[in-house]
Amino acid sequence: MPDKLEITNNIRTLRFFAHEMTQQELAEKAGVSRQTIIAVEAGKYSPSLELAFRIAEAFGVPITEVFSINKKES
Amino acid sequence: MSFKEKKTLMSLITSTLLLVAYCIYAFGEAGMQHQNDLAFWARTILIFIGIGIVALIIIQILFHVLMAISQAVQQKMKDETIDDKEIEKSIEREMVEDEMDKLIELKATKIGYVIMGAGFVAGLVAIAFGASAVALLNILFLSTWGGSFLEGLMQIRYYRRGIR
Repeated sequence: MPDKLEITNNIRTLRFFAHEMTQQELAEKAGVSRQTIIAVEAGKYSPSLELAFRIAEAFGVPITEVFSINKKES
Repeated sequence: MSFKEKKTLMSLITSTLLLVAYCIYAFGEAGMQHQNDLAFWARTILIFIGIGIVALIIIQILFHVLMAISQAVQQKMKDETIDDKEIEKSIEREMVEDEMDKLIELKATKIGYVIMGAGFVAGLVAIAFGASAVALLNILFLSTWGGSFLEGLMQIRYYRRGIR
């Protein structure tokens, strides 16, 4: 059985370096609700590939700088 | 609590009140007088479905209006110079439906259908064991309500705990 993967993100850090961009501003740039951004940032929702790219585009960085995958220890 | 959670909660409260009204009417004196009158039960359920749809629409409209007013008042209190267009935009932002909402709705609906399906099977089992057609109607009606109630509860749970 393949190892479980955990998707983590750097959205909070990236928001900080983007002149403390608010969650609402990021939500508007990515075209989703603020609640969705809150859930993604907290790791409660794994976004679709399209949304992941849109979030990365909002920060002007490659997707790998926003999201990363870690193997979950079972 | 977010706008969508409040909206789901409102629907849950409305449907619970309707169920209570149905139980009081159907299992009260009126129901006792027509225990084996299938037409009476069919009419009662149809009437309550109609009332339910109308009540949900009215309550949703009222809820949207009240939410818009409360948000406008809150924003005006925070910043008196804010213009109406900005307030309108922020209300629209709250109400926007995106991929997470669709996924939550999809998963919750699936659970609702399972309950409705189980209700249908339970109704058939009841008939097989000699229950009346009135019992089947009531089991179907109650399982439909149970399914939509659980659907709402699951939506709130997914909004709170997240969905992966």
